[in-house]
This record gives sequence, structure tokens and C-alpha cells, in this order.
Amino acid sequence: MVTIIKRVRELGSKALIASPEFRDYVEKQETEINRGISSLCILSIITEADNKQHAVEKELHGYNILKDLNNKTRKMLVIEEGTLYPILRKLEGDGIIKSEKEETGRKRKYYFMTPYGKKVFNHLAGFYSKLTEAIGPLFDVKVKLRQDRYIYCPECANKIEIDKVDINFCEICGHPIQELRERGLKNNE
Amino acid sequence: MSEEDKKDLIKEYLREVKTKLPEWLKEKKEHKEILAELEEHIWSKAEELSGTDQPTLDTIQIAIDHMGTPETIAKEYKRRGTPKFYITEELWPLYKNVLSFAFLVILVINIIIPILNVVFDNTSGGEIFNNVVTGLQMGFLWSFVIITIIFVALSMEGYFPEDFKSKKTLEDEEKQVELAKERGLAYETKTGKPLKPFISPAGEIIGGIIVIGIGLFFFIQPIQGLNNLIDPEFLLLVRFGSLFIIAEGILDMTRGLIGNRQVSTHQIIHVITIIVKLSSISIAGLMMMRPEIFPIIIIDDTFTNIGIAPEYYWLFRTIAVLVIMGMILGTLENFTKIYKLEKYKISK
Repeated sequence: MVTIIKRVRELGSKALIASPEFRDYVEKQETEINRGISSLCILSIITEADNKQHAVEKELHGYNILKDLNNKTRKMLVIEEGTLYPILRKLEGDGIIKSEKEETGRKRKYYFMTPYGKKVFNHLAGFYSKLTEAIGPLFDVKVKLRQDRYIYCPECANKIEIDKVDINFCEICGHPIQELRERGLKNNE
Repeated sequence: MSEEDKKDLIKEYLREVKTKLPEWLKEKKEHKEILAELEEHIWSKAEELSGTDQPTLDTIQIAIDHMGTPETIAKEYKRRGTPKFYITEELWPLYKNVLSFAFLVILVINIIIPILNVVFDNTSGGEIFNNVVTGLQMGFLWSFVIITIIFVALSMEGYFPEDFKSKKTLEDEEKQVELAKERGLAYETKTGKPLKPFISPAGEIIGGIIVIGIGLFFFIQPIQGLNNLIDPEFLLLVRFGSLFIIAEGILDMTRGLIGNRQVSTHQIIHVITIIVKLSSISIAGLMMMRPEIFPIIIIDDTFTNIGIAPEYYWLFRTIAVLVIMGMILGTLENFTKIYKLEKYKISK
């Protein structure tokens, strides 16, 4: 995990960053914060590719995931490139994603979400969205959820696309969401 | 700068990564796929950096630098398992099993050696006791320390229990769990093995009835002719002892009647059985103290009780010690059953 503090240059010997204690502490904290988020962001990138129309766009291999991660997070969330693969392996082992290996050519490994992984991701994405919205005021930051596109289960924070009208109950906890969706759709009008 | 130089540069990096990878990953041969994926990544990155499909040695080196050190990559593979007191949650049941097995072996060794000492060297009781206590203390302490260190190291390397099993065993277990799920049978949550019924009700009932019958025989003492020959104190001790036998028989029969359900009740009955078994040791202890009342009946036209000659009292006491140790070991069966029944609670 490449933390932001690792990328900062020391500009003066009296700067706090020159202190090894400060550097170590901040680096550890940043690593802790980044660890969970990076898996979630990787899943978000694979989910987004899965949702694309064209077969070529759906095919996402390790290097592409990393490029997307850098671009979409404006290089704020940078992971050491080699460490992407252990994360992917773990996600695959947990049944969240699956991979397919190219038969010919460079034999790249492409990654896709599993149906189970999609459910897990929706829940985690919902939880993370609600969490960032809730903790935003602590840092004087305003987070606005896309309530025009998603509804968040009041029980478990599961993220559900508002236009999926065939889903009347939360897939995670079974909470009825029909009324919530109708209200959301009405607000969108 | 030849094509070979570029390949060598990448190969050198991959070789370093391979040496740092955890052993469980190398054994699975999965590391080949991992290294291939890393190699593919380096080529893709280097091509992009050089803007052609012919990357230079420099762009390859930059791509390698971006990958992170082999140690960092290996560390991520080792981050596996849920931490639990320095030993991961995944390894915890295996750790407990290994520890229990080691303790059991030490316990048995420490019981057998004093018995052999008694039989061959006629060592004194105090000496035996001291040897057993010291042996158990040292054995438990060392096995605990060694096994714990091994498991902490395995946890740090990211090992899971399945890493010690062959691919075929894992596949078989997977099939078994599928089968168990289909049939609605209880199965082990960790290994997925379907569990056999934990009790044979008919066997327990019949066994219990036989044990009760034996207990009643000793309680009633129906052969009056023999009773007249035996010391009344011995007969009284036998009668007391028979109460414990009857109690054990009733407990066995009760378990048989309950059958393969109410796991907790079975565990409670085993605890009561342990208490009964250990309590009955007092009778054996009392008998050990009184070799003069122990009957030795010989049949020669009529029954005669010749008793034990005083020079053989030591042999009698030795046998009594063996019987007591046997009774203590007998409770291990109940302890094991209590432990094994836990699995049925989880997966039923």
C-alpha cells in the first residue's frame, strides 16, 4: 500500500515529516485506512466493468484494474502494483470474484464478479456510502448520496438500484423496500 | 540490450518474489500462476511506459520498481486468516486438537512409566507421585510452548488447516459435504465431513441393562454359601461399589433411550458418569488399604477362603494401583465424547 505520506518529499529538516516517529505513525494509520478501502475500490472497478455492454469492456485484467484505480481515485489511492494480485487472489478465494484465463496470446487472467460477490459488494458499498455520509461532518465534509439512483436499506444499508422494480425486499436482510423506492422515484420526478 | 537481457531482468525479480512467497503457496504450485500474472503485468506496464510494444530495459526496470519489493508482495499473501491471540481463528481448532493430543500422549506416558516402575522396581508410592507430577508439569509446559510457537509461526505465514491436506482429500471432503447437505445430515463445519450418528441406542440400552444386572448381582450377593466365607467388611465394600456400577448402567441406558438427539443432555450425562467413575475410586482405595480382607477362594471338595499371604500384600496393592489408574483412564473416554459432541451442536 502506497500511503500519501510515503510520496511526500521532505522539504526541511525541521518539518514534522522528518521525524521517524511521526512518519511511522502516520504511515501505519494511512495503511490501515487504505487496506479495507482498496479491496472495496477494486470490487467497484470490476463491478463497473461487469455492467458494461460490450464484451471487450467487460474484460478486465490486473493491469487494467490498477490503471482504473489510479485514474478514478486521482492517484490518491495507490497500491504497490505487485500487491494487487494477493488481494485479487483473496477475493477469488472468498468467492467474491472469479477469473478466466486467456487460452492464447499472453494468457492474461480476466476478473469478473460472482453473483454472490455482487450481493456482498452492494451491501459493503451501501454501508461505506452511508458511513462516509455520516462521518463527513466530523471532517467538515459534505457527502451527498445519489438518492436519485439508489436506495439504501434502512436496516442494513444495502445499496439497491432504484430502477430495479422487481426487487421488493432487501436481498441482504429481507426488509421491504417497495415504499422507499416509490418515494424515491416520486422525488426524482 | 537484447531480448534475453529484458527477460533475465524480469526473471531475476520473479525469482526473488518466489523465494519470499510463503511455503504453503509454493507447495500448491499456484505460485506459477501468480508469477505469470506478475510477469504479464510488468510487460504491460513497460510497454505503456515506452509507448511501443518493444519496451526498453529502463522501462522494464521502472515497471519492476512500481511492483513493490518481493517482501511486500509476499507479505500480502501472508495476510491471511482472522487474528485470534497471535494464532489465527482458522488454525485455532487444529491448534487445540494438536495440544489436546500432545497432552493426552504425555498423560498416558506419565501413567505407564510409573506403572512399569512399580511392577519392576517396586518404587515407593511417594516417589511415584513425585515422578508423575514432575513429568506431567514438564511435559505439559514444554509441549504447550513448542506447539504454540509453531502455530504462531504458521499463523504469521498465513497457513490454513487445508494447506496440510492433499488436493484429493480436499476434493473428497467437498463432495462429502455436498452429499451431507443433500441428505440433511450433520456435518463438520471445518472439514465438511458428514458425521455418523454419535450413539447406537440399542447398544447403549443392552449394555446398560447388562451393567445394571452385574451391579445388582454384587449388591444382592445371592450366593449365601460364598458370603459366609468372605469377610463382612469386604462384602460391604462390594455392595457400595455395586451402587456405582448400577448408577453407570442407568446412565448408559438413559443415553440409549435419549438416542441421537439432545446433544447437551448427552454431555451432562457424560459429566455425571465421570463423577460416578471417579467416586468409585474411593472403594478401590479402601480395598487397597485392607489386603487382609480380600478373599481368595479355592475349590477343593468344598470352597475355602485362603486370603492373601502377607508377603504378597505389595502385589495386591500394585494391582489395586493399576486398577485405580485404569479407572482414571476410563474417564478419558467420557471426556473425549463430551468434546466430540460439540461438533454435533454446531452443525445440526
